[in-house]
Amino acid sequence: MDVSALSIKDIQLGLQQKKFSDVELVKGYLDRIRKYDKDIQSFITLCEETALEKAGEVDRRIANGEELGFMAGVPVALKDNMCTNGIKTTCASKMLSDFVPPYDAGIVEKLRQGDAVILGKLNMDEFAMGSSNENSAFFKTKNPWDLERVPGGSSGGSAAAASAGFAPITYGSDTGGSIRMPASFCGLVGVKPTYGTVSRYGLIAFGSSLDQIGTFGRRTEDAAYALEAIQGFDPKDSTSLQKGYATDYATSMKSGIKGLKIGIPREFFQEGLHPEVKDSVLKAVSLLERQGALVEEFSLPITDSGLSAYYIISSAEASSNLGRYDGVRYGYRTTEFSSYEELVIKSRTEGFGDEVKRRIMLGTYVLSSGYYEAYYKKAMLFRQKVKKLYQSAFEKYDTVISPTVPVLPFKLGEKTADPLAMYLADTYTVNVNIAGIPAISVPSGFSQTGLPIGIQLMGNYRSEETLFKFAYSLEQELALDLVPKIGEVK
Amino acid sequence: MKVTKEEVAYIAKLSNLMLTPEQAEKQAEEFSNILNHFDTINQENLTGIEMYSFEDEPLRLRKDEAIPFKNSDELYANTKSMQETAIKIPKVVE
Amino acid sequence: MAVYETVIGLEIHVELDTKSKIFCSCSTKFGAEPNKNTCPVCIGLPGVMPVLNEEVVKLAVKAGSALNCKINLINKTDRKNYFYPDLPKAYQISQFDLPICSGGFIDLDIEDRARKIGITRIHIEEDAGKLIHLEDSEYTLIDYNRGGVPLIEIVTEPDMRSADEAVAFLKKLRAILIYSGISDCKMEQGSMRCDVNISVREYGSQELNTKVEIKNMNSLKEVHKAILKEENRQMQFYHYGEGHKVVQETRRWDASKGRTVTMRSKEDAHDYRYFPEPDLPPVIIASETAEAIKNTLPELPDAKRKRMIEKYRLTEQEVDILIEEKYVADFYEETVQLSNEPKEASNWIITEVLRVLKTEKEIPLTTRQLSDLILEIKKGTISRTAGKEVFEALITSEASVEKIIAAKGFQQISAKDEIEAIVDQVLSSNPQAIEDFASGKTQSFGFLMGQCMKASKGKGNPGVVKEILEQKLRR
Repeated sequence: MDVSALSIKDIQLGLQQKKFSDVELVKGYLDRIRKYDKDIQSFITLCEETALEKAGEVDRRIANGEELGFMAGVPVALKDNMCTNGIKTTCASKMLSDFVPPYDAGIVEKLRQGDAVILGKLNMDEFAMGSSNENSAFFKTKNPWDLERVPGGSSGGSAAAASAGFAPITYGSDTGGSIRMPASFCGLVGVKPTYGTVSRYGLIAFGSSLDQIGTFGRRTEDAAYALEAIQGFDPKDSTSLQKGYATDYATSMKSGIKGLKIGIPREFFQEGLHPEVKDSVLKAVSLLERQGALVEEFSLPITDSGLSAYYIISSAEASSNLGRYDGVRYGYRTTEFSSYEELVIKSRTEGFGDEVKRRIMLGTYVLSSGYYEAYYKKAMLFRQKVKKLYQSAFEKYDTVISPTVPVLPFKLGEKTADPLAMYLADTYTVNVNIAGIPAISVPSGFSQTGLPIGIQLMGNYRSEETLFKFAYSLEQELALDLVPKIGEVK
Repeated sequence: MKVTKEEVAYIAKLSNLMLTPEQAEKQAEEFSNILNHFDTINQENLTGIEMYSFEDEPLRLRKDEAIPFKNSDELYANTKSMQETAIKIPKVVE
Repeated sequence: MAVYETVIGLEIHVELDTKSKIFCSCSTKFGAEPNKNTCPVCIGLPGVMPVLNEEVVKLAVKAGSALNCKINLINKTDRKNYFYPDLPKAYQISQFDLPICSGGFIDLDIEDRARKIGITRIHIEEDAGKLIHLEDSEYTLIDYNRGGVPLIEIVTEPDMRSADEAVAFLKKLRAILIYSGISDCKMEQGSMRCDVNISVREYGSQELNTKVEIKNMNSLKEVHKAILKEENRQMQFYHYGEGHKVVQETRRWDASKGRTVTMRSKEDAHDYRYFPEPDLPPVIIASETAEAIKNTLPELPDAKRKRMIEKYRLTEQEVDILIEEKYVADFYEETVQLSNEPKEASNWIITEVLRVLKTEKEIPLTTRQLSDLILEIKKGTISRTAGKEVFEALITSEASVEKIIAAKGFQQISAKDEIEAIVDQVLSSNPQAIEDFASGKTQSFGFLMGQCMKASKGKGNPGVVKEILEQKLRR
């Protein structure tokens, strides 16, 4: 069956009305993956057998009239940094290329309880460090809109797979834009929820105070439903929010944005922003205005220092989080060594890729005695300032809108030589993580060359509901065709 | 901010990573570039800001109950060198 | 010649008495098979997160209260980063700039000199795993069972001036922690360990000279020896004008060789790169909670000492011995409650019970048994000498005192008619002694007394025998 453009609602109705069985549905997705993923290369691990088993179980239980979970029969795929009991979880690193977790991440537990069908694990930048997916130790995922271009990163595999219709929704993680950026590059809705909304237990840590799991979908409704399926308190994550979760986003998002206020931060539209991106974003804003939203420009001077603070804090935390990979208990182990020290140093040096090593060292540097005050401490102080500035912005505005990425999807290899140039792609997204607020990237159109462009909707803590309203309204107004013609490309 | 090769070597040692002299040199240059950009933060007025804010949800505590891990059979399945239930590593001299 | 004084500060690690580990639900039981008490969290698998055990906060607050500290109602955890094979995450979750307690003290009474030893801070942290070094093997084994066991680290001010003071402090601290149920402080099992910071200076100087840290001492005896040795080593340098040779370093006490040896110098000191633990929000304790925890503190050694001296009319020395271990003090008080014989109970416990405890782990008789024994002796059912034999029997038996006395046939003969018969018999077969007594040789009374006791096979109540013998002789 053709699954290329199905929504979650289509699937639920189809299963309910017995238009197709879950096994047929899952086979449809697996066929599509087999057919097109050799070009796109989004999956690291495909779980055909267990997926079909689960689909069979769902069919049986539907036939028996049993009650099923929130995600009953819906095929999903996960970024390969979420631990899956018994299924290899690699973080796209040689370091974890053979690692099989003995436990499920919080989100995986929720998905299993919700009777979702896990299709497999998706490619990413190694340990989620990167903005192009080129830092995967295994292979480089391509953008379904143009196979010569990157899908963005670090959740590039999740974005490419959702865009290519390999699953109706996929899950990724966002530390400094790792969901929103590839969502923008691949023409998807990408949701980075409020810090603490989705359990981080079992998400292989990069920058623990910034990491947050979120969703990809072609439609706001799908991305929101996918979030509803995994959000909620998890006692295993001490930073997980205990209560105050909104439900039924699908209904609330349709209530319109009349009278809601939009803030446009001047500093997010300056030097370095591609003119086509700028135009597309401003056009989208005017469409929202036409639907009754009030628009105002204001100053939010955080982009430059925010990027610095982000790279300092995330690298510092990463340097600590990645200390555990030593070849002793799990993961890559060098073959020849004559001492414990040699075992550890060689395993780490051989097991980590260049970008990961660069961030570990950068993080070690900014925390080391003599530099802590100059870098880490300043970044932490600036973090508090960013929080305050956002807070006062959200006293006035329901959402703050900016481009998601300053540039159009770039070509493979275009930015790999200069790490700083790559870091600059995160300029507009990192501050959201620094503040812990939610943000959504929504497609706003295409470049003249047919490449997707996205706008970023930022909101106050726990304002996902409001953000979905804006996203849905824009989506309705634009009515873009977001199914890439992957069969015809090549 | 200029980072020297020696500093990079020290950081590599602290990180338990090995660098060839050429890599250290290249890394020093990259670091200098990146840290130059980070200097934007030194131009920020950060006086009067406290490093921590304690307004978030306070820490939840767990009940003191001993519950063994369920999947203990697989817990060390990824470990490459064991002697019975202990992990085996090359001799460490304290 | 200059006179030197030693300046000592201590860092004491104490394992908290909890059922589960500090950040996961694994058991803290000592002595399990290697890695039996582990889970993804405490072996640092990718993706795991810590959840703090409420009992750890409770016990740390309790320790702070017992040691007169300020409880920091807002405190937080930090990561201390370093690589070592016993530390699975390559960082230890500890507390850096906002510990749970700060600024306390312990009062010491050393040879009647009152000394106040300052406590700088107390913080909570996780213990590391254990390395097992096999003899003649090219391998080391790792056992993570201890990894994640909750600890408090107690840091003192450099307020101690001698090995004796340091040991007295540790004994007192240990007693307080055991009394409060914070830790079992079993040094031989590593549940209390101590780092000693030592420097030496000219007497009267207020300056702190270069200090040396001696790591990981786990016996009071060795702490004492190590301090003596190390202060002497440093004094020698100063004495010969070579003070610069005292370098800031970490040394290890080699107990077999009886000396301290360099572990690492300042140059290879760790750069721990502390930063706030992002996986744990700050610990916020309600002031009522802290107050409630403080109110659960039992009577501490100082108060107990004062009360026991007054209530039981014991000497200070006796009380000091009795309260050194809480369970001994408890045993004493229960025995007194049952027997109402404070002095006798103290004697029995100090001479007999503590003697047995040198080789036994637990007190091998019940308070009921000991108090019955004391009362039977008092009543005269058995002699004191027989009492000691009964005590030995009680160590290996759960039988009542009464039954043991009966089984051993230890009952004293106190019945006057029985004794009279014995005395008569002795007197009739010793006419010479009666004559001697009559002629004023009083020592023959002792001889006759001995004969009577012998005739009673030792069971005659000496008081009664004496009384009757005197009566008969005077007649």
